Amino acid sequence: MSALLRTEGLTKHFRGLVANDGIDFSLRSGEVRSIIGPNGAGKTTFLSMISGHLPPTSGRIWYRDREITSFSVVRRARIGIGRKFQTPTLFESLSAYENVELAVLRTESPPAKREARVNAALGTVRLAEGRDTPAQFLAHGQRQWLEIALLLASNAELLLLDEPTAGMTVEETAATAELINRLARERNLSIIIIEHDINFIRDLAARVTVLHLGRVLTEGPFEEVAADQRVREVYLGS
Amino acid sequence: MSQISLSLRRRSAGVDRRFFAGETTAAAALFLILAAVPPIIAGYPTYILPQYMLFGVLAMSLSLLWGFAGIVSFGQAAFFSVGAYAMGLMMHQDYGFNPAYAGILIAIPAATLLAAVTGYFLFSAGARATYFVLVTLALSISAEQVAVSQSGITGGWNGLFVDRMELTFGPLGAVSLTDDARMFYFVLVIVICVYLLMRRLTTGKFGKVLVGIRENENRLTALGYDVAFYKTLAFALSGGVAGLAGALYATHANFVSPSLGGVLFSTQAVVWVAIGGRGSLLGALAGGIVVSSLTNYLSAVIPDYWQLALGFIFIVVIVFFKRGLAGLLESAFEALRHWRTAR
Repeated sequence: MSALLRTEGLTKHFRGLVANDGIDFSLRSGEVRSIIGPNGAGKTTFLSMISGHLPPTSGRIWYRDREITSFSVVRRARIGIGRKFQTPTLFESLSAYENVELAVLRTESPPAKREARVNAALGTVRLAEGRDTPAQFLAHGQRQWLEIALLLASNAELLLLDEPTAGMTVEETAATAELINRLARERNLSIIIIEHDINFIRDLAARVTVLHLGRVLTEGPFEEVAADQRVREVYLGS
Repeated sequence: MSQISLSLRRRSAGVDRRFFAGETTAAAALFLILAAVPPIIAGYPTYILPQYMLFGVLAMSLSLLWGFAGIVSFGQAAFFSVGAYAMGLMMHQDYGFNPAYAGILIAIPAATLLAAVTGYFLFSAGARATYFVLVTLALSISAEQVAVSQSGITGGWNGLFVDRMELTFGPLGAVSLTDDARMFYFVLVIVICVYLLMRRLTTGKFGKVLVGIRENENRLTALGYDVAFYKTLAFALSGGVAGLAGALYATHANFVSPSLGGVLFSTQAVVWVAIGGRGSLLGALAGGIVVSSLTNYLSAVIPDYWQLALGFIFIVVIVFFKRGLAGLLESAFEALRHWRTAR
């Protein structure tokens, strides 16, 4: 099966600092992939180059066999690449419903269809009851879910989730793992997740890519990666 | 915290159905009160209020930008003056058809085009907040300077005298608007039409996207919206509306001068919107009418201190009533509704 997303030699320099150094990466359709690594490993930079928020210094990116290296953020969003930021980035004064409605509006205009899609997205992330609450008054975990709902409602097929469980309770984190697996399984969505919560990564049971000093250190199933001595030394601890 | 303030705090800043129902009632009341002016208070109020209503239209044009998209423009007077000069210049021509219609037909696209071109370059380059304010300030200064320097066309500081327009209906005849009451009702109809069109625009997809821009431009971009396009469109529309107001102002006031495009007039528009309530088109419209009337009154009663008094009112509103008069009224209605439910 051909890759949904592929990067080749993706490199990003910030003046003298090498944030990403020749990353070759590929993701299949419907696959969930966790990216872990110590702070400063280049995880968010990598995600930003895929979403178009940062231009690579060198290297190329393909999405559905089409090179998208030069595509803008807007163009990438329109072909199905959705980004959830490290800090929830929402329309703060608007209700949860209005937040999701904005995501739907770009592609869907008839009010009945629009409302159905908004409600479906809110229901998926367990926010149906909080639909009228302004985003700024939602609990931190709910804010994370609301941002995921925006991506679902915008018809994104590749979700880039930067620390989706930050600030969540244990129950909320478990529910998020279940949600992500369900989205991949039932909707065939492809998901890349950056996380520091190792229990969450284990619960996801997805393939893991470990970044260290801007390079791919190793890649494989969680158990295999967790047992890797190099990973234990640089990130997990012995 | 009381339940009332909690319910207000928790209200979304997006489209609130109850608020819009309330705005419909308030709009109907405002237009009915205005319509009653000529038969009840003939004379000066009937003469001057159309000007203030047109200032209200100018304020609405700014409200579209500031209230909905969060873009503060100090250049609205430039578009107003483009419309005013277009009308002034056309009224001096004789092409064999109604020059006022030609004035309006040129005023709107000319002001729209100026705003669209300015907006395109600014928004495509990612200009935001302070930078945008500075450029729009420069636009106002330039508009005034062009009007002064091109005295062969514009009359320079002497300005242009403009006749009152007349409405022509082809073979059906014509209605002169030299009569103040007729002019009043003509302007009122235009104001109502502009208000309804802008309201329809702002309650639909376009308005929601503008609110999204105000709330979080980066999120909207990440959802695939071309934010620069929407901002340019909003700026162009607001320019067109300001141009229409300027064109009608010229024929109503019978005079166009360079100061119409200046920074002072642009700043006045900002004050009208801030006092009226930038989140509401009706608030902005009322702000233009009320503050202009108040300015007129204060300048007659306390000629030496009226600017000070107006400045004081502006500061009080900005500090204590951030949502302006419209927000104050909305809170009062909300409290009343709560009081009724609690009984």
